[in-house]
Amino acid sequence: MKTLLLGMGNPILCDDAVGVRLAHDFKEKLTGFPGLDVMEECSVGGLNLLDIFSGYDRVIVLDSIRTGTDSAGEWYYFTAEALRETLHLTNIHDVNFATALELGRRAGMPLPELKDIHIFAVEAKDNLTFSERMTPELEEGFPCYASAIFSEVKKLLQA
Amino acid sequence: MTRTIKIDPITRLEGHGKVEIFLEDDGSVKDCFFQIPELRGFERFVVGRPIEELPRITTRICGVCPANHHMASAKAVDGCFGNEVAPLAHKLRDMYHHAHYLHSHIAHFYALAAPDFVCGPDADPAVRNILGVVAKVGLEIGGQVIRARALAQDIQRIVGGRATHPVFCLPGGVSKGITKAELEEIRPMVKELSGFADFSLKLFRDVVLGNKAYVDLILHGPYTLDVQYMGLVDENNAPNFYDGQVRVVDFQGKEICKYKPDEYFEYVAEHVEPWSYLKFPYLKKRGWKGFREGIDSSIYCAAPLARLNVADRMATPRAQEAFEEMFTTLGAHPCKALLAHHWARLVEMVQNAEMLERYCADPEITSDKYRVVPKQITGTGVGIVEAMRGTLTHHYTCDKNAICTSANLIVGTTNNNAPIQMVTKKVAKEFIKPGKEPDQGILNMIEMAFRAFDPCYSCATHSLPGQMPLDVCIYKGGDLYRRFRR
Repeated sequence: MKTLLLGMGNPILCDDAVGVRLAHDFKEKLTGFPGLDVMEECSVGGLNLLDIFSGYDRVIVLDSIRTGTDSAGEWYYFTAEALRETLHLTNIHDVNFATALELGRRAGMPLPELKDIHIFAVEAKDNLTFSERMTPELEEGFPCYASAIFSEVKKLLQA
Repeated sequence: MTRTIKIDPITRLEGHGKVEIFLEDDGSVKDCFFQIPELRGFERFVVGRPIEELPRITTRICGVCPANHHMASAKAVDGCFGNEVAPLAHKLRDMYHHAHYLHSHIAHFYALAAPDFVCGPDADPAVRNILGVVAKVGLEIGGQVIRARALAQDIQRIVGGRATHPVFCLPGGVSKGITKAELEEIRPMVKELSGFADFSLKLFRDVVLGNKAYVDLILHGPYTLDVQYMGLVDENNAPNFYDGQVRVVDFQGKEICKYKPDEYFEYVAEHVEPWSYLKFPYLKKRGWKGFREGIDSSIYCAAPLARLNVADRMATPRAQEAFEEMFTTLGAHPCKALLAHHWARLVEMVQNAEMLERYCADPEITSDKYRVVPKQITGTGVGIVEAMRGTLTHHYTCDKNAICTSANLIVGTTNNNAPIQMVTKKVAKEFIKPGKEPDQGILNMIEMAFRAFDPCYSCATHSLPGQMPLDVCIYKGGDLYRRFRR
């Protein structure tokens, strides 16, 4: 099974960077894992994602999320079947991701099924301020949530 | 008592925005505000960094317009180093920029504009999208859209090393040229894109111009403003997306001013309103006169229609034919019908494709003289390019060690902030009347007012809180009594 691990976000936009930071952290740990490609940084959406997802059987997305709750550093897991809340897989300058995937599939592109697109999203506190550092909540909590998410990613890869 | 209708967040618009419509007791529109949050601290973030790093950093402002920021930033940095630039570098940068335009314009037309016209402005939101478009015009066109976008991306990758977040502009030039083999790879892509640009214009003619109701909506609907226009032009007053002078023309076609990039501060100023995160640029010499239409208004529009309105001609032959057809059909040049932005975008695509063809035929394009190393630090630079969404200005200063001491940016969409406010209110007043409750169709007609500008607030906000449903709240006496969501 060909798998893509994708870090989404902007590396200089405070907590928006968390997906990129996680992908960077996981890349080293997963070096040599068969059939796995890692893209550490991706900040595009909509139709652009078709070019990135094409040819993979499974995609694991690391992203940030704003649920409106006061729980920065908490993380969530869902598949693209429930693609509602993640920050970067939506982009209404372009089409939303579910629509893009459907268009690509109808046009015959080799794309993973929605159930095979796994999303891990960390609750962000500030994604509006340019900064190379995340908020203290996400910086200090990183080892904890990164470790927990990595365990889940490994389980997925070994399943 | 005033009721409030809130459209939050706006659909099919990058970044989180909301429109609040305040109704009088009788149901007519009292006022309307378009608001978006703004990213903070970029100008402070870059101070203290080596000035040559800025073109690489500024692409991170926005995942939608990275090439525009890269180019404007590179030109501002060139200015800080005395503007010694290899002529070939300008061609390669421009080549990259044209490919970026094609990529962006294709996405906007097919994913955002076409659903309103192909499916209909009041069509069920569930089908008013690109899938609805291909259901009407044919699945093979959906495949062509995906392919054309990918080709434009590929050209950027070959020319600049990366399709997104380019890093190839350096002070005095670019980091790489293109080889003859790469040029041969690009040629058929350009040919195909050129055909696709023509096809898109034909589709517009067939689907939009072939429908009298749509033509009436464009020409006689409320989507017009009596404001001025801004765009970058070459020495012949043809649109130039990468270089030239900024020309401002009033809505009767009279030139108000024409300035070089480093003179922008004399011509453009920004007004602040307490209710908006974004500033409102205006023509400085006229002074801020409020959100007011008129021949003496200091408010101007940017983006495709404005670029063609300030131009006397296009830079390439097929685009010129399309330009003439467009303004003949519209009945005037300049044209005030804002929905013609979509048509202008397609005319620009033809010029983008023809310019790429021109570069592919340029015998110097594969030369290796793509950079000169600057020998002086002059300390100030202003770079202006046309982003797809409007005139983009980067202004930097640096110290004698080439460390950034200040930065000021006026991003493309910001130029249109005032006209977007004004036309949104105008259209809301037209469609929401006493006794006529707003429905999804009417709310989409309001969104069409600002969608014409292809506004992108990635520069202002990068992410969205979810799948961007259309969330409409109607209040009576301060209480929510109806809510639409899709």
